[in-house]
Amino acid sequence: MRFLVPGALGLTALAGPLVVLYMLRSKRRPQEVASTMLWREVGEPVSSAVPWKRLKLTPLLLAQLAVLALFVLSLARPFVSEATVLGPHTVFVLDTSGSMAMAGRFDQARVVALDLAADVSEANLASVVEAGPRPRVLVAFSGDGEAVADAIAGLTPGGGSADLSSAVRLARGLAAPDRDTSVVIFSDGGDGPLAEEPVIGATHLRFDDIASNLAISAFDAEPSAEGAVRTFIQVDNHGPEPRDVTVAFEVDGLAAGKTELSVPGLDAARQVVPLEAGPASSVTASFVDHTDALDLDDRAHLVVGGGQSSSVAVAGEGSLFLSALLASTPGVAVADAPGAADILIVDGGPLPDIDRPTWLIRPEQAPEGLDLVGLERNLAVTFQRPGDPILDGVDLSSVSIAEAQAVEGLTWLPVVSSGPVPLLLLGEVEGHRVAYTTFDLVHSNLVVQVAFPILGSNLIDWMRGGEAGSVSAEAAGTPIGLVTPSGRRAVVELPSGEVAELTADAGLFTNTDEPGIYRVSYLDEAGTVTAGEVAVRHFVSTESAGVSRDIAVSAGPSGAGQEGNLIREWAPWVIGLALVLMAVEWWVGHQRPGVRRRTRREATA
Amino acid sequence: MLLEPRFRARLERLSLGVKGRVSAQWAGRHTSTRLGESLDFADYRPYQPGDDYRRIDHNLRARLGVLMVRQFEAEQELPIEIVLDLSGSMGLYDKHQSARRLAAMVAYLGLAGGDRVRVWAIPGDRGRPEVQGPSGRHLSAWPQVEAWLEKRPVAGTGSLRHVGRRLAGSGGSVVLVSDLLMDGWRDVLDGLAPTAGGLVLHLLAGEELDPTLAGDLDLSDVESGAKVPVSTTEEVMGNYRTALEEFATEAARRSRRAGLDYLLVQSGPRAEERALSGLARGAIVR
Repeated sequence: MRFLVPGALGLTALAGPLVVLYMLRSKRRPQEVASTMLWREVGEPVSSAVPWKRLKLTPLLLAQLAVLALFVLSLARPFVSEATVLGPHTVFVLDTSGSMAMAGRFDQARVVALDLAADVSEANLASVVEAGPRPRVLVAFSGDGEAVADAIAGLTPGGGSADLSSAVRLARGLAAPDRDTSVVIFSDGGDGPLAEEPVIGATHLRFDDIASNLAISAFDAEPSAEGAVRTFIQVDNHGPEPRDVTVAFEVDGLAAGKTELSVPGLDAARQVVPLEAGPASSVTASFVDHTDALDLDDRAHLVVGGGQSSSVAVAGEGSLFLSALLASTPGVAVADAPGAADILIVDGGPLPDIDRPTWLIRPEQAPEGLDLVGLERNLAVTFQRPGDPILDGVDLSSVSIAEAQAVEGLTWLPVVSSGPVPLLLLGEVEGHRVAYTTFDLVHSNLVVQVAFPILGSNLIDWMRGGEAGSVSAEAAGTPIGLVTPSGRRAVVELPSGEVAELTADAGLFTNTDEPGIYRVSYLDEAGTVTAGEVAVRHFVSTESAGVSRDIAVSAGPSGAGQEGNLIREWAPWVIGLALVLMAVEWWVGHQRPGVRRRTRREATA
Repeated sequence: MLLEPRFRARLERLSLGVKGRVSAQWAGRHTSTRLGESLDFADYRPYQPGDDYRRIDHNLRARLGVLMVRQFEAEQELPIEIVLDLSGSMGLYDKHQSARRLAAMVAYLGLAGGDRVRVWAIPGDRGRPEVQGPSGRHLSAWPQVEAWLEKRPVAGTGSLRHVGRRLAGSGGSVVLVSDLLMDGWRDVLDGLAPTAGGLVLHLLAGEELDPTLAGDLDLSDVESGAKVPVSTTEEVMGNYRTALEEFATEAARRSRRAGLDYLLVQSGPRAEERALSGLARGAIVR
């Protein structure tokens, strides 16, 4: 045992005056009694010439000396030092990717993290970062061990991949200037991209238990000519032994059939299974009587698409590039008359009435909510909104534009821009999704790049989205983009059955780590519900392998990230014991053994 | 008013028990040391000229041929001498209030039973050791007795020795209401040998039974002014309690040896009711 303030031990000298007080005779107080007859023989010999008396070790004196000793001890702040990875400020980074659900990895990580969280104090602050598909800070700079433990206990692995690089960057961003910050990464390492340089001031606690695992790695459906759907299923075997497995299908919650698959070791088996399912039906495939190391990938979901194509018409100048785009986009039928089309593309010319989803390409007037303030020339793309589904797989870094409109508006979302000049904006007019390209496509090199058909297809998908029955399927963790009609709020039903009501201005729903079907609907003030899109989030198949690896780490300049010492103070316990002893001392000081029972009984009978 | 009306009504249904025979002047309801005219047969004696012919036992004369006359018990009043200690020590902790009520209780019991009651108090006036109060045989004397007991002041140093000598062998019952906290208390109890027994009501305050004194003290005797330095250690307080226990035990033993009943009473409100319960349990009051 050592002391943080050893000098305080000098206060034990106070025991001297305390003992002297017990040896000194106090001045006697006069007290009148009925008779001194009974007191004559009971008093101890008194000599007024001697101001002190022989010290008697009474229980009272011993209790007071013990209380004094304990208070001095608490002021000296005794402590023991224990080895720990906790530093003055520790950031817990917990990997919640799908692979952490394998063989109890995350449960082990949580136990270790909770054990460390028990030592969090004002001297050892902690922050918690969830390393999922979209890393986020759950607790920052907290000395409250209970809050830290609550945040850790509330985490569960999802079905997505962890963005460990972003999570570590987020953790490093929590570094405080006045405290050494260390990062503890609870992860299997995963197989996602990591920074090449070691993470400075970090510790990687690797959880890499692994066991045999079968996973549904692909599940899709396509309408067949017979009016039913053909589902395609692929099962991966991540173990060396061949396995037979039965897959059961449910359509809208009702059993719809089974199929047997024999999967060779470290290989995959595929099968096409016809099912009686109509458009917008929910289909679930799951293993029957099968347990393995990872449960999350033993089920897969899909929603059968509408089975009908959207008609798209082009108004205005049009171009060969637009025609080629529409011809190559699946589920799109080109309409000759704009009035009958589901989606309208306006290429130049005057701004029409917006009565359906519309893609405006450099119209002569800006739509509602935007002000046309001028023209800009010779532009290059400098900004692509990160994570936006419209730009999924789209690289616009080499796009050059001859001339674009300069527009201003607060209600439109710029997703591509050149400096302050927006090039592609998303918005809503009269309750319809509208994409607005501020430049003429043929006055740019975009139309000759591979990004063009992808961007066009994404834009048409987006414009079709938000409508009842439209389906999008992405990896777990991918946000669901929302364009909420004005005056309404989005409501999302999660796969677990939980319902999340979002604020009116919410543009994204990010809580999509759980694989399954998310149903969006919109609620107006009168309580009217309008069905929205259906989003399927599937388990990321690469997580099923349970790949693990070490994350390169190194100690920080002040030793942060290395195992250090945790100071565990005893003062609270010592003070508690002192208070108990004070209570005992008070009792000893005030207790008066009563007059003998018989005498008292006789007198008061 | 020393006694509540309800308590007095309760006392009227009770009477003091007498252990021995009384020796008094007037007829009453207690068996006398002399023979008399009651209905209770006592003894025979040879006929002597002048005896009442009606007392000759003719059955005995026919059987034995001798003239014998029947003798009967005499019944006399019980003289009750109540001695109330109003010395300085009784003034502490208001013990004298309880003592007055205890004395009044015994006096009322006697008057209600038709006994001759006489009250005494120590110390007396103008340096005399005791003072005699009013006496009476009927409840008509109660107002006088009550007023005297109520107004008698607490003062000075008291000794029971003198009044004890006066009452010893008086033939009646002696009731002593005192804390006995005085030198010579043993002699007083030893010297009391009343014919018809008596009673010691030993009155002590709660503070005397279980003192709450603390610290180093100079104890001063309220009567004599004598001082005793005391440090109230646990050992000293334990010794005091032992001395008190012995004091009470010895007082009880000496009282009984003198033919007196003994009751230790804690002063305070309703002390007379507690005392009456104790007396009833000991069959001193019936």
